[in-house]
Amino acid sequence: MIDLVKAIISALLFPGLLFITALALFTQYLVRKLSARYQRRMGPSYVGPFGLLQTFYDFWKLLRVKEVVITKYSMVRASELLLLIGLSSAVASLVFLPLSPLNIRSEFDVLVFFYLASVMPLAMLIMASLAMPGPYTSLGVSRLLSMATISEPALFASILVPVYLATRSGPRLFMSIAESSAMVPELWSNPVTAVIMALCFVAYIVSLQARALYQPFNIPEAEQEIIAGFETEFSGPLLALARLLHDVDLSISLLLGVYVFLGGPLPFRHLSPLGVVMLTVKYLVLVAIVAYIKNVMGRYRIEQGLVQAFKYSLVPAALAVVLAMLLP
Amino acid sequence: MKVSPYQAVSISAALLGLVLLVAAVLYYVFKSKRSRETPVYLSGEGEDVVSMIVPSVASLYWGFMKRFAKSLYKALIEKVHTGSLHDWYKFISSWFGALLLISILVYLIYALPALLR
Repeated sequence: MIDLVKAIISALLFPGLLFITALALFTQYLVRKLSARYQRRMGPSYVGPFGLLQTFYDFWKLLRVKEVVITKYSMVRASELLLLIGLSSAVASLVFLPLSPLNIRSEFDVLVFFYLASVMPLAMLIMASLAMPGPYTSLGVSRLLSMATISEPALFASILVPVYLATRSGPRLFMSIAESSAMVPELWSNPVTAVIMALCFVAYIVSLQARALYQPFNIPEAEQEIIAGFETEFSGPLLALARLLHDVDLSISLLLGVYVFLGGPLPFRHLSPLGVVMLTVKYLVLVAIVAYIKNVMGRYRIEQGLVQAFKYSLVPAALAVVLAMLLP
Repeated sequence: MKVSPYQAVSISAALLGLVLLVAAVLYYVFKSKRSRETPVYLSGEGEDVVSMIVPSVASLYWGFMKRFAKSLYKALIEKVHTGSLHDWYKFISSWFGALLLISILVYLIYALPALLR
């Protein structure tokens, strides 16, 4: 009975739907505010204290006020449902992180997590875009698929290797995210595994940038060049859902990075006051890195983007896999 | 909570269903009901400027196949399949050399300690 209550709380409140939505909107606020400072602008300032509620109001305006613009080819209901499935799938994946009161641990849970948090949202976003067809949408989806062909395997490998290294021996559950998180300081303190971790971290950051569709990999939405790419035909509540899915996806990928590469709240205990502070600081550091890369780089063309993603995410990730396999 | 992989999949699938139900209810309660129909957005052009509104599967992978994979293929045929036996020998021997090095490395790491024990 207690587990059932914990499961419902985990899915709907913390770190589920309510918390992750708030975190996603806050992360978006931070990215916008940091980007504005890089460009000598103020960024969100007027709605709420320090403009904190701007992203929520943007979301609310799209959901409540704006109309859906449709064409005779649009399948709005299918698109809405697909985006909702993508969002729910991403939220459900949070039960595998130590942040969740339920914190499900099992062998190979990293595979289930990756499927829910990474494969499903992307697949649902692509199908939802194709349910609202148009030439610019098709171009955007084509670019999204091309980028995903390189960046998704790199992201997968960059997460898989640290989890494998941390759980390959000892009494820990093999390939479990939560169990690997506790071993992160040991991985960074060993010179051999530290090199592999560094390779994975580089691959993770580059593929995260591609996954978040931020510069230099904002090729699939390529604003102005192909209008808004895969989200050209999204409007009103549908656009609100697509944006929320993107933001939730980014927040979960960042949280995953905090646990797999930075050890979560370590050296403090989980959900202790200092642990919460440490977790927040590590999360903000990753947000700052993402925002920095976003603002100091311009957009690549698709072939440049693919080559750079190959060089700086897939090659380091593949190298890390080979090195990890060679370890006794 | 330690569970088997099958239970992990089942629990997460059930939670996915629960979140989907709640999110769908919230979405349909709060969403704006207004909609407007327009022609497909084509930067002001008519629909007749495009041959099809939905892309073919081949064109979905245009960026990957025609730009990225093609450059790999071009590199391959320019370096390996040039028609010169010398180029082919250089390419193959470098790869075989790398494979040989890896096999020696693997032997030293795994097999040798086991044999010496």
